Amino acid sequence: MDYELYLHIPFCRQKCFYCDFPSWAGQEHYMEAYTEALCREIAMQSSLFAAAGQAVTVYIGGGTPTTLPLPFLQRILRTVQRCFPLATGAEFSVEANPGTVDAAYLAGILAAGANRLSLGVQSFNDGLLQRIGRIHTAEQARQAVSMARTAGFKNVSLDLMYGLPGQTLADLAASVAEAADLQPQHISIYGLQVEEKTVFFRQQQQGRLQLPDEAAAEAMYDYMTGELPRRGFFRYEISNFARPGFASRHNLGYWQDVPYLGMGAAAHSYWDGRRQENTADIAVYIRQVMEGELPAHEEEPAARSLHMEEFCFLALRTVQGIDRQKFVEKFGCTLESVYAPILTDMRAKGLLTVDDAGVRLTKRGMKYGNVVFAAFLL
Amino acid sequence: MQTKNIRNFSIIAHIDHGKSTLADRLIEYTGTLSEREMEAQVLDSMDLERERGITIKAQTVRLNYTAKNGEAYELNLIDTPGHVDFTYEVSRSLAACEGALLVVDATQGVEAQTLANVYMALEHDLAVIPVINKIDLPSAEPEMVKKEIEDVIGLDTSNAVLASAKTGIGIEEILEAIVHDIPAPSGEREKPLRALIFDSYFDSYKGVIAHIRLMDGCIRKGMQLRMMATGKLFEVTDVGCFRPAPVDVDELVAGDVGFVAGSLKNVRDVRVGDTITTGENPAAEALPGYRGVTPMVYCGLYPVDSADYDSLKDALEKLQLNDAALVFEPETSIALGFGYRCGFLGLLHMDVIQERLEREYHLKLITTAPSVIYHVHKTDGEMMAIDNPSKLPTPQEIDFMEEPYVKATVIVPNDYVGAVMEVSQNKRGEFKTMDYLDTNRVMLVYHIPLSEIIYDYFDQLKSMTRGYASLDYELADYKEAKLVKLDILLNGEAVDALSTIVHVDNAAYRGRQLAANLKELIPQQMFEIPIQAAIGNKIVARENVRAFRKDVLAKCYGGDITRKRKLLEKQKEGKKRMKSVGSVEVPQEAFMAILKVH
Repeated sequence: MDYELYLHIPFCRQKCFYCDFPSWAGQEHYMEAYTEALCREIAMQSSLFAAAGQAVTVYIGGGTPTTLPLPFLQRILRTVQRCFPLATGAEFSVEANPGTVDAAYLAGILAAGANRLSLGVQSFNDGLLQRIGRIHTAEQARQAVSMARTAGFKNVSLDLMYGLPGQTLADLAASVAEAADLQPQHISIYGLQVEEKTVFFRQQQQGRLQLPDEAAAEAMYDYMTGELPRRGFFRYEISNFARPGFASRHNLGYWQDVPYLGMGAAAHSYWDGRRQENTADIAVYIRQVMEGELPAHEEEPAARSLHMEEFCFLALRTVQGIDRQKFVEKFGCTLESVYAPILTDMRAKGLLTVDDAGVRLTKRGMKYGNVVFAAFLL
Repeated sequence: MQTKNIRNFSIIAHIDHGKSTLADRLIEYTGTLSEREMEAQVLDSMDLERERGITIKAQTVRLNYTAKNGEAYELNLIDTPGHVDFTYEVSRSLAACEGALLVVDATQGVEAQTLANVYMALEHDLAVIPVINKIDLPSAEPEMVKKEIEDVIGLDTSNAVLASAKTGIGIEEILEAIVHDIPAPSGEREKPLRALIFDSYFDSYKGVIAHIRLMDGCIRKGMQLRMMATGKLFEVTDVGCFRPAPVDVDELVAGDVGFVAGSLKNVRDVRVGDTITTGENPAAEALPGYRGVTPMVYCGLYPVDSADYDSLKDALEKLQLNDAALVFEPETSIALGFGYRCGFLGLLHMDVIQERLEREYHLKLITTAPSVIYHVHKTDGEMMAIDNPSKLPTPQEIDFMEEPYVKATVIVPNDYVGAVMEVSQNKRGEFKTMDYLDTNRVMLVYHIPLSEIIYDYFDQLKSMTRGYASLDYELADYKEAKLVKLDILLNGEAVDALSTIVHVDNAAYRGRQLAANLKELIPQQMFEIPIQAAIGNKIVARENVRAFRKDVLAKCYGGDITRKRKLLEKQKEGKKRMKSVGSVEVPQEAFMAILKVH
């Protein structure tokens, strides 16, 4: 069986204003113990699950993995490779903040086994970067790409954002153009969502957050979904674009029902049809692992209908959509037998394409993804 | 218990004048329930009643009391609802009693709804004992309230009891007054059985349980009984009284109040108002029933999920068992599919039924705006009674229309007379009379279209009089009026369930207001939704609900699918109370938007 590995590094130099992911600033004193605990969890999990097959991807995300001192991160990279059998040519990604890396650091993680670098750039406008709480400049992002290439990374991805406070269509167009000109293999582009417990949320409550209006945000969405393919980055998933052959296998795995093991604080796993989440508290995580316990909690029962819903709404994020044959193999019944009225309705609304191979979002459907996904809940 | 030692009584009071507290005190004082068993407001047992602080269903409790003369008495309290919508329930309860306590707040005086109920009690020849409650309050003016009762109702108040249900003052005096001032029931045990059904409810184990007042004869377990109106024969399996929970007894005799259950599985076999007699040697004549109940307000009830249609029917039948005033019949709406047209006594009644259906039967419902019954006289001479605006014939077929008017009685302090007049005139009311109850309080009578009462008349009245006005109304007559149908078009298509009948003078204004309200209530969808209000072919208002531009999931962090799922579930939950009307998702509130039009 092929599976994926995800390792979570919950540290950041500073919390970005939009971010509600499990990551914390000012917790550097835990870094050493956390590295120790994470390596121990990797060993524990591998003794339980490694033999089930091989890891086809590894993804080290955060937080900011590259806030760890290089030797710590290298130790984690090497521990994974020692404990889990990696498939030949496995995709091995590390997330990096342009403000935290130099040439030596990048060379160091490449040497330790990483082969794909995902850089959080967000924008090439310094004013915007500051306004959303990023710790780096546009220039640092440019340098990071160039250093990654010099270090030998053949697969680099850039993250961008749209719908940011104060952002105009011209800002976005400039950032898309500059990102494309840097010739990465992959570009992710996410719309800003104001989540609770973020700086933006509090600003919004106080009426101090000026977001682009709906029409402007839509114009940005339309621009980037049109412009990136014109520049050779093809859309393979709602928010992700890649040069041919460089779609992120790890990312696709989430949408294609591939099992994954998540390790580290707040990491999520999907194994044997069950979803699990590790404790998010760094201190609790370290203590539990060091006492030899698995830090997982919140185990969900693997009801067939839940599995069906997730299979569908996750697969729909990709351009391939839901594969009819796979659905029959998984659930022993046809897609129509469960979803016929929804398919008819969504097709009539111009949101879904339904054919012999399967079901996928139309261009319009991509824009209203949530409406379609919610409809697939039974 | 000998019949001469039985007393049957009810309590008449305005909301908040202390009826439930007084009932609690009586139960406590007579030791019917130990303190441990007492819950606050024992008689209001429905969750809804407690939350809203109102009594909806009549309830019964038997109190055992040893009077000062040393004799033991059985006192049956039949609780009654206080709200104007439930007047019908009151009349049923009163028919089972020989007397009533009239509870009046010593700081407030007589209110409009109390008046209506006292008049009803007097019509039933009940002995009425005035109880001036809340005399412990510093602002109590018992003498003034007594005078008011004498002036307005014409009751002798020399036997009035001054009480405070809250502190317990006067409770014994009330019990003594019940014993001495209310006559014992007059029935005879030896005569053929005649028992009046004044209420009923459905128990999943015992079947239909009838609340009864025995006028003559007796009932024991195992007897063969007959319903006089329906002819249904049944064997008694349970007979008992309420303390206030049902308790089995050996027999009920003439004068008693209690319950009877038997092999009664069908709701329709037990009619409130019917007389129960014995299978053999039956009574010759049934007791006089009740005046027929006429629903005043109609609306459509539709299941959000059409699969719930049958469940809705079952639930309505069950509720109807306990509520003879509820009527319903199937209807079809182009916009909403299959549902029921339901008739209610008033808006509160409608609200309560809707809430009980949702709460007790777990149904998700769409309720259409309430309508009254219009009399439509057609050019061909036919008269149609229309309770659903979408059934209105075309203007060419209509000669003229009539709408129901009510006689509305408003009692208000002097200072607010102007406000009452203003609100009433705005609602097309016709002034009838104005009388001073005392130096400060005034009773005004208006004739007002019932449809205007439905459109927030009472809310406006209360806000304009800072809550001082009390209102009672009864159906008066039908009057000709210039009425038109106001249609609403969503996305270019008329939605039958949103049509209303309005007075021609207000039609354009109402149309504009309604369109504006709907704009706020209909959520943004993937396309722009034009909302139009039309009278005939003429569009009188137009609004637009703008389309939302996109709805894309943000980044999915580290395989956290659970979180995505929660977000989608929330989105789906929001859609549950919406009905697809053509291509537009319309929330429940939209169908009630007309009520918010001032």
